[in-house]
Amino acid sequence: MEEEKKLPRRNFIQLITRLLLGLAGLLGLGGLVRFFSFRPDPGSPTVYDLGDAADYPPGSKIIRPDIPAVIYNRGGEFSAFSLSCTHLGCLLEEDGNSFSCPCHGSRFDQNGSVLNGPASENLMPLRIETNDDNTLTLYTKGAGN
Amino acid sequence: MSRFLVVFSFILFLLGAVFLSVVTAGVSPFLGTAQSTPSVADRPGPPPTVYPPSQADNGTQVYWGICQDCHGDQGQGLTADWRAAFAPVYRDCWASGCHGEDAPENSFQLPESGVPALAEPGALPQFANAFELGTYIQSSMPLSPVGSISSDQAWELTAFLLTLNKRDLEDLELSGNNSAAVPLHRDVQLPGSELPGVLLLSVVLVLAAAGISVGKRKGLEKTGAERRGNFYHHLHPPRIPAAQARFGYTLGAGGLAVFFSLILLITGALEMYYYTPTPDQAASSIQTLTTLVPFGNLVRNLHYWSAQLLVITITVHLLRVVLTGANAPPRRFNYLLGLVLLVLILLLDFTGYALRWDEGIRWALVVGTNILKTIPWIGEGLYQFVIGGAEPGAAALTRFYTWHIFGLTMAMVGITLWHIFLVRRDGGIASPPSGSENKIKRVSRFELVRKEVQVMLIAGAVVLMLSVLIPAPIDQPLTENGALTGDSRAPWFFLWIQQLLQLGSPFLWGVIVPILIILVLGLLPYWLPTTREEDLGRWFPAGSRIAQVLAALIIGFVLVLTFLGFIN
Repeated sequence: MEEEKKLPRRNFIQLITRLLLGLAGLLGLGGLVRFFSFRPDPGSPTVYDLGDAADYPPGSKIIRPDIPAVIYNRGGEFSAFSLSCTHLGCLLEEDGNSFSCPCHGSRFDQNGSVLNGPASENLMPLRIETNDDNTLTLYTKGAGN
Repeated sequence: MSRFLVVFSFILFLLGAVFLSVVTAGVSPFLGTAQSTPSVADRPGPPPTVYPPSQADNGTQVYWGICQDCHGDQGQGLTADWRAAFAPVYRDCWASGCHGEDAPENSFQLPESGVPALAEPGALPQFANAFELGTYIQSSMPLSPVGSISSDQAWELTAFLLTLNKRDLEDLELSGNNSAAVPLHRDVQLPGSELPGVLLLSVVLVLAAAGISVGKRKGLEKTGAERRGNFYHHLHPPRIPAAQARFGYTLGAGGLAVFFSLILLITGALEMYYYTPTPDQAASSIQTLTTLVPFGNLVRNLHYWSAQLLVITITVHLLRVVLTGANAPPRRFNYLLGLVLLVLILLLDFTGYALRWDEGIRWALVVGTNILKTIPWIGEGLYQFVIGGAEPGAAALTRFYTWHIFGLTMAMVGITLWHIFLVRRDGGIASPPSGSENKIKRVSRFELVRKEVQVMLIAGAVVLMLSVLIPAPIDQPLTENGALTGDSRAPWFFLWIQQLLQLGSPFLWGVIVPILIILVLGLLPYWLPTTREEDLGRWFPAGSRIAQVLAALIIGFVLVLTFLGFIN
């Protein structure tokens, strides 16, 4: 009789203690997740000032490897797409009338469409806006044109 | 009579009105036009309407009084629109005489380029963070007289300029200790308070310790024979004498030292994820850790407090071992290993403190390293080895960092394991000879582990509370000029050396005496009589009294010097 009463109580106290230790561990783990959630490096900008629109005359094709992007002026219409390969992000190189990837050999045409793989997606179009003072701004995030 | 009074008070009133208008006109040349020009009515300030005012609110007032004449009421700079608010005679600042080429002595010439705007997109491009802006304001503004604003005012102005540029500081009080973490040109999110989480964790730890106690008191614990024990249990001897397992005998010092070392290893590894060991990044990466990283401040404070408590714990452990005569053969060599650990921990404390690379570590960079040069023959070479060059710089920081996280830490972990192994091999805590084994009461490893875990849980709660209530020292990033300022003092664990250094020859007092102290402590069980075996396991055993008195005198001497260093 005595034994029967004692055993559940032991289990109960041990259970509570272990739950508390587990809770302490979970709290520590939660803190750890938050600790690692911070990003010290803000990342690259998403807005680029391209300078005077006159620097991009009609018919021109200008490559900005720092963004990386190619900017076209087709009869006064500005367009741009990213020069980061959609396969694994290498910087594309100009190769005659196309862009080729030095890493794995993907090729894209002048409209950013895939010519051959391994890449399967077309290059990302980028939005260009003409400002009031006739300068251009390029946005690498948000909807394409 | 009453008629005379009326006339008299009327004259007084007139005089007062004239006086007031002269005074106010004298204070600001364009206050008189305030009513007629809308932009002046819009100027920031005057006094804040909320109490207590925030740092930025105070900055608004400083800006209003000192900066806005040139930088504009909206931070727009000295634009034509803003100058239109001035009285006509003052509108062309460059030609008016006050700030032209022939500026009078108590004035200054305005730069040809004008006055920069402070609050438009792309303003203040030359400053990356609030620290650079704040120190620039204090060192270079206003143009006349330069340096006329206090450090507090400079930080208030910085906070004001950040709000003017739509940066939300929430309730962060900007100072040299955190502003390097606050970027000027992008938003950051400040972490919430650490206090609720830490309080919760501390309460849970204490409750768990209490649960273990309750389980024990109700006699609900299985005996050693029924239990198999886990990995941690098996790090302990199966059974140890009950008398020597008491907290009153061990003071829990050795176990606590291991516990604090573990916290140091874990928090130190966490700090490495954010710390950048370069002279221009070190202090600001620490400010990022303490200001922006969630629980980053807690991690740093835990590392700091565990290190301080470790120094105290191992000193207590050393005293306990000597005063119970436990360093008698066969434990003499293990005692030496313990002393080596003490030296390693002091070196780890020193290098860790130098990693802050902020204004608070000048003692380490100047005195702490120059002591090495005073050693004959090898001093210069030793200095070069520690510093990696002719003076402390990037190479020194890299070396301090590598010693701290690798060289010294590896040595400490290795020797700690060796130390613990030797304790285990020599039968656990020192006790009377084994002949009486059957007569003395013994406790199982399960009881030992239970006590250990309890002490660790409570120590964990204590170090958590210390960390959340008392922050580790931090200062503004180290500036170029390397002069040692008057209030530079050693970290507290080296205050006794700093006190000794006042006595004269740095080689004698800063090198020879500390080495002698360690040497004498190390030789105690070799030169002086040790405790007889049958006297072991008690405080102040008869055989080694001379060694006990000597060790107590030495530790007391160091403590008194440390105390003198504190009040000095």
